Amino acid sequence: MSELKIGVYVCNCGTNIAKTVDCDAVVQAVQALPGVAVAKSYKYMCSNPGQEMIDKDIKELGLNRVVVAACSPRMHEPTFRKALDSAGLNPYYLEMANIREQNSWVHEDGAACTQKAIDLARAAVRRVALHEPLEKRSVPMCTSVLVLGGGVTGLTAALELADANQSVFLVERDDHLGGNVARIDLTAPHLDSARDLLRDRIARVTTHPKIKVLLGSELVGLSGYIGNFKPLVRVGGQEQELEVGAVVVCTGYQEFDAKKVKNLGYGSLPDVVTSFDLERMLRAGRIATRAGKAPRYVSLIHCVGSRSEEHHPYCSRVCCMTALKYAHEIKSMLPDAYVSDLYIDMHAFGKGCEDFYKSGAELHTMFLMYRKNQPPQVRLADPKDGFGMLIALQEQLSGESIEIPADLVVLMVGMEPRADAAEVAHLVNISRDKDGWFIESHPKLDPVATTTDGIFIAGACQAPKDIPDSVAQARAASARILAKIAQGKIWVDAVYAEIDEERCCGCRMCGEVCPYSAIEYNPATRRSTVVSVLCKACGTCAATCPAGAIKARHFSDRQIFAQIAGLLEGQGGGLTKGAK
Amino acid sequence: MANIVRVNPGLGEEVQRFGADDVAKCYHCGNCSATCPMSKEPFLIPRKSMRYLQMGADERLRGNLEPWLCYYCGECSDQCPRGAEPGETMMSLRRWLTAQYDFTGISRLFYRSAAVEVGAVVVLGLLTGIGFYLAGTYLGGGDLNIYDGPRAFLPAYGKGGSFFSFGGVHTFDWAMGVLLAGLLGINCLRMWYFTMFNDQAPKVGIGAYISKLWVLPWHFISQRRYSECDKKTPWLVHLIMMLSYLTMLILIMFFLHSVHYGPEIVWQAHAFGYLATVGLLFGTVYAMYGRANKVNTYHKHSHASDWLFPVLIFYCAVTGIAQHIAHRTGFPALANVIYIIHMMGVVPMLVLEVPFGKWSHLAYRPLAIYFAEVQSPALLAQARARQSAPATARAA
Ligand SMILES: Cc1cc2nc3c(=O)[nH]c(=O)nc-3n(C[C@H](O)[C@H](O)[C@H](O)COP(=O)(O)OP(=O)(O)OC[C@H]3O[C@@H](n4cnc5c(N)ncnc54)[C@H](O)[C@@H]3O)c2cc1C
Ligand code: SF4
Ligand code: SF4
Ligand code: SF4
Ligand code: SF4
Ligand code: SF4
Repeated sequence: MSELKIGVYVCNCGTNIAKTVDCDAVVQAVQALPGVAVAKSYKYMCSNPGQEMIDKDIKELGLNRVVVAACSPRMHEPTFRKALDSAGLNPYYLEMANIREQNSWVHEDGAACTQKAIDLARAAVRRVALHEPLEKRSVPMCTSVLVLGGGVTGLTAALELADANQSVFLVERDDHLGGNVARIDLTAPHLDSARDLLRDRIARVTTHPKIKVLLGSELVGLSGYIGNFKPLVRVGGQEQELEVGAVVVCTGYQEFDAKKVKNLGYGSLPDVVTSFDLERMLRAGRIATRAGKAPRYVSLIHCVGSRSEEHHPYCSRVCCMTALKYAHEIKSMLPDAYVSDLYIDMHAFGKGCEDFYKSGAELHTMFLMYRKNQPPQVRLADPKDGFGMLIALQEQLSGESIEIPADLVVLMVGMEPRADAAEVAHLVNISRDKDGWFIESHPKLDPVATTTDGIFIAGACQAPKDIPDSVAQARAASARILAKIAQGKIWVDAVYAEIDEERCCGCRMCGEVCPYSAIEYNPATRRSTVVSVLCKACGTCAATCPAGAIKARHFSDRQIFAQIAGLLEGQGGGLTKGAK
Repeated sequence: MANIVRVNPGLGEEVQRFGADDVAKCYHCGNCSATCPMSKEPFLIPRKSMRYLQMGADERLRGNLEPWLCYYCGECSDQCPRGAEPGETMMSLRRWLTAQYDFTGISRLFYRSAAVEVGAVVVLGLLTGIGFYLAGTYLGGGDLNIYDGPRAFLPAYGKGGSFFSFGGVHTFDWAMGVLLAGLLGINCLRMWYFTMFNDQAPKVGIGAYISKLWVLPWHFISQRRYSECDKKTPWLVHLIMMLSYLTMLILIMFFLHSVHYGPEIVWQAHAFGYLATVGLLFGTVYAMYGRANKVNTYHKHSHASDWLFPVLIFYCAVTGIAQHIAHRTGFPALANVIYIIHMMGVVPMLVLEVPFGKWSHLAYRPLAIYFAEVQSPALLAQARARQSAPATARAA
C-alpha cells in the first residue's frame, strides 16, 4: 500500500459548530497525527468552495484518504463522497466525524466540547486508514410495473406509466374500477361530477394496449427486489406469477363504521345516515327520509370517527369540504331546506376551499361549532314538534347549550386504513404508522417512496387525502419509477453484508433477525446468503452470527476497533474520561 | 345553569326582512369585536348578537341590550373579512327589537313593509289635513283669514286663552303627547322585562337601579356614549339633531304663546326656535346626502325607515319655516293653509315614529345604557366565577 496521505477538514457550520468547538484547536491536534498530510477548517465544508478545497487538495497534494469533521453523515456523506469521486478518489475513502449533532448541539462546555471533537476526529483518522476501495454494482431492471388498487390513484398511475410505454399490471380486488370515487356524486370544491372524472380514465385504462387489468384479483405474495420483483397474484381462483421492476400500492381507505359512535343514532334511528348513504341519494337524484318525504331540516355532523380520543385521532381531511358540497347540493335540490353543519373546526385549506366555505355560508348554511370529544347527541323529537329529530350540542361560538331540529342527519364518516392493510404491508414489506397508514420514506422530501426500494405508495392508503392530492401522488410515484427505468439498471450500494460460506453453519439466525428480509437460505448447500440488493447494511446479522461468518463491508471489525482505539488514545477530557 | 336554547330556524329569514342580509356570511373570526370601540366587558359587541341571530336564538336576542349599545360607526363592517356587515346587522336588530318591544304589532308591520309604513304616513297625513280643516271650520274660529288670537281659524288655546284652557291646538298637542308617551312607556316596560328578567339576566337589587339613575338624563342630553366612537362627526350631528328636536318640543309644549302669536317676534323664544330649525335642517340634509351618496360605511345600506325619518323631519322643518314666513309677512290665510300642511307631516311623524318607528330609539338607547350599567357589575361577577370554575363544570 502506498504511503497514507490523509486530509482532515473541520467544518464550522457557520456558528453551529464553531460557537462551542475551537475548530483551529481541532486542526492543530489532528495535524500531528501519523498519516495526516493536511488539516484545515472552513466555514461551510458542504458549500461549493468547501468541496472544491477537498478536490484541489486531492489533486495537488495527492491525498488518498479524507476525513470531514462536520454534521451527521446522514446529512452530507453523499455530498462529500461525490467530491472524492469527482477528484478521482474512491468515494469510500471518506470518513465523517459527527461534531455537530453529537457534540456542539448537545454540549455547552467549550473546552470539553473541543476535546470531544478532537477525539472524534482522531477516531475517524484511525478508521479511514483502514478503509478499502469499494465499487457500486448494478443489476438489470425489469420495466413492467404492478399497480395495486384500481381507484382514482391506481388508474392515474397506470395511465401515466403506460403512456410512457411501460407495461402495467393493474390488480383490483373489486369487479369494477374506480374505488371510492365511484361511490360519490359531485366533487368538492368545484362541484364537477365524479362520474365524469372516472369515465374517461376507466375507458382509457381498459383499452390501453400496455395495461393489463386484473379485476377480482389479489396480491398473495411478493418476492425479489427492486428491478426484479416476482408478485404472485390470484385471479379467479388461480395463482399467477408476474415479473415487475416496481410496485405502486394504491389500496386507498375504507370508511369509519359510524355505529361505533354512541349517541348519534346510526343504526337505531332510521334517518341518521352516513355520507356515503347521502352520496347514493344524490347520485339517484332524490334526497328523502326513510318515510319517503323530502326533509325540511338536514343536519351534517362532522368528524364522525375522526379527531376523537375514542376513535381516530387524525383528521380525515376531505369531510369538511364534502359537507360543504352537501350543503350546496341539498340547497340546489331542496331550496327551502334548512341545512345545519355541526363542525369542530372548519378545515378549508385546499385550493379554492376558502371560497367554497364562504359560498356555503352565503347559502345560509347554519354553521354550529361543537367541542372536540363532546359530540352532539341525536334523539327522536316529539311527534308534535313537526320534525323528526332533535340534536343537542354545546355550541362553542355562543357558549350556549342548544337544540336544533332535523329530519335527516348525515354523519361525515372519516377514512380509516382498510381492514387488510396490515397484510398488504407485510406482503410488500413496508411499515405502517400508529394509525395504520402506510409510511413513506420521508414525510416531506420523499413522500411516495418507502423504506423498501421499488415499493411506492400513493393516494389515500398513505393517509386521508382528496382526489387532487391522490392524483398528484400517483403521478409522483410514476415519475420516480420512470426515472429508475430511464437509468436502465438498478444501482446497488457498495456497502452491504457478506457471508463467508466456508464459515456459515446454516443456523439461519441471521435470516430471522434481518429487518429487510435480505437473507436467503439455500437448503441444498445448507448455507445462508445475503441478497446484496436488499441489504441496508444495518449490521444486525453480523452481530448475531454465532459463527462470525458475516462481514459487513465498510464496517469490518478492524475498522471499528481502530476507531475505538482512536477515541481512547486521547489524554483526558471528552469521551475518554468516561471510558477510563 | 342557563336553559337549553331551542333554535328558531326561521329567525334569520325574519330578521332579513328588517335588513340583515349578510349575517350568514359571518364565520366568527372576532375582528369586529376587536375593532368595536363599544365592545367592553361584560358586553361583546357585535359578535354575540351576530351569533344569536345566526343560530336563531330568538329569546336570547330579545333579552339582549347590545344592539342599543352600538352607534353604527361602521368600523366593524370595514374590518369584516367576510362582508357580513356586522354594523348593518346591529342596525337591523335595533329595528327588530323595536318591533319586539312594541305590543301593538304596528312596528313589525312597518319595518317589514315600506309600502305599509309610507301608506300609513300618507293616510294619517290626509286624515290630519281633513281633521284640522273641519276642526277649524266647525270648532275653531271658522275664518281662514285669521291666523292668531282667540278668533283664529285654529286657536292656540281654548276659551280662557290661557295655558290651561281646554280646547285649541295646545290641548290637542298635550293629548297627543300623553297618548304617545303612554304607548312608548308600555313598550319601554316591555323592554325592561325582556332584558332584565330572562334566564340569563343576573338578579339586581333596587339599590343598583337607584345608584345608576343619573345615567338616564345624562346620556339622554349629552349622547355621551356616542362620543366614545372613534369618529366624532356623527355624534356631533346627532347631538345637534337631538337638541334641536328637544328645543322644538319644549317650545311647543310650554311656550306656544310666545312662538305662535304675532306679529311681533319674541326674541327670547324665537332665537331658540330659529337655532333649532337650522339644526334640524342641517342634520336631515346631512343624513339624506350621506345616504344618497353612500358617503360612509353606515350609509351603505338604507332601509326604507332610514329614509322616511329624515324626509319627514325635513318636510316639517321646511313647511314650518314657510308657515312662519307667511304669518309674519301678513298672509294669514296662506299661513293657515301651510300650517295644516305642516301638521299633515308632524302628526304622522310623531304618532307613527315615536312609539313604533325610528324615533323610539330616543327612549330605548338611554334606557339600554341605563340597564346595561345596572347589570354590569353582576354580569362581570358572573363571568369571573365562570372563569375560575373548572372546565368540566363549565362543560356540564
Ligand atoms: C364521503 C366522501 C366524499 C368524498 N368526496 C370527495 C370530493 O368531493 N373531492 C375529493 O377530492 N375527494 C373526495 N373524497 C376523497 C376520495 O374518496 C379519495 O381521495 C379517493 O377515493 C382516493 O382514491 P384512492 O384510489 O387512493 O383510494 P380508493 O378510492 O379507496 O381506491 C382504492 C382501490 O383499491 C382497491 N383495493 C384495496 N385493497 C386492495 C387489495 N389488497 N388488492 C387489490 N385491490 C385493492 C379497492 O377495491 C379500490 O378500488 C371523498 C371521500 C369520502 C369519504
Ligand atoms: S457540512 Fe454539515 S456541518 Fe458543515 S456546513 Fe454543511 S451542514 Fe453544516
Ligand atoms: S376534514 Fe373536517 S370533518 Fe373531516 S375529520 Fe377533518 S375536521 Fe373533521
Ligand atoms: S446487514 Fe442488516 S440488512 Fe444487511 S443482511 Fe444483515 S441484517 Fe439484513
Ligand atoms: S362579523 Fe365579520 S368580523 Fe365579525 S366575527 Fe363575523 S366574520 Fe368576523
Ligand atoms: S357599528 Fe361601531 S359601535 Fe356598532 S358594533 Fe360596529 S364597531 Fe361597534
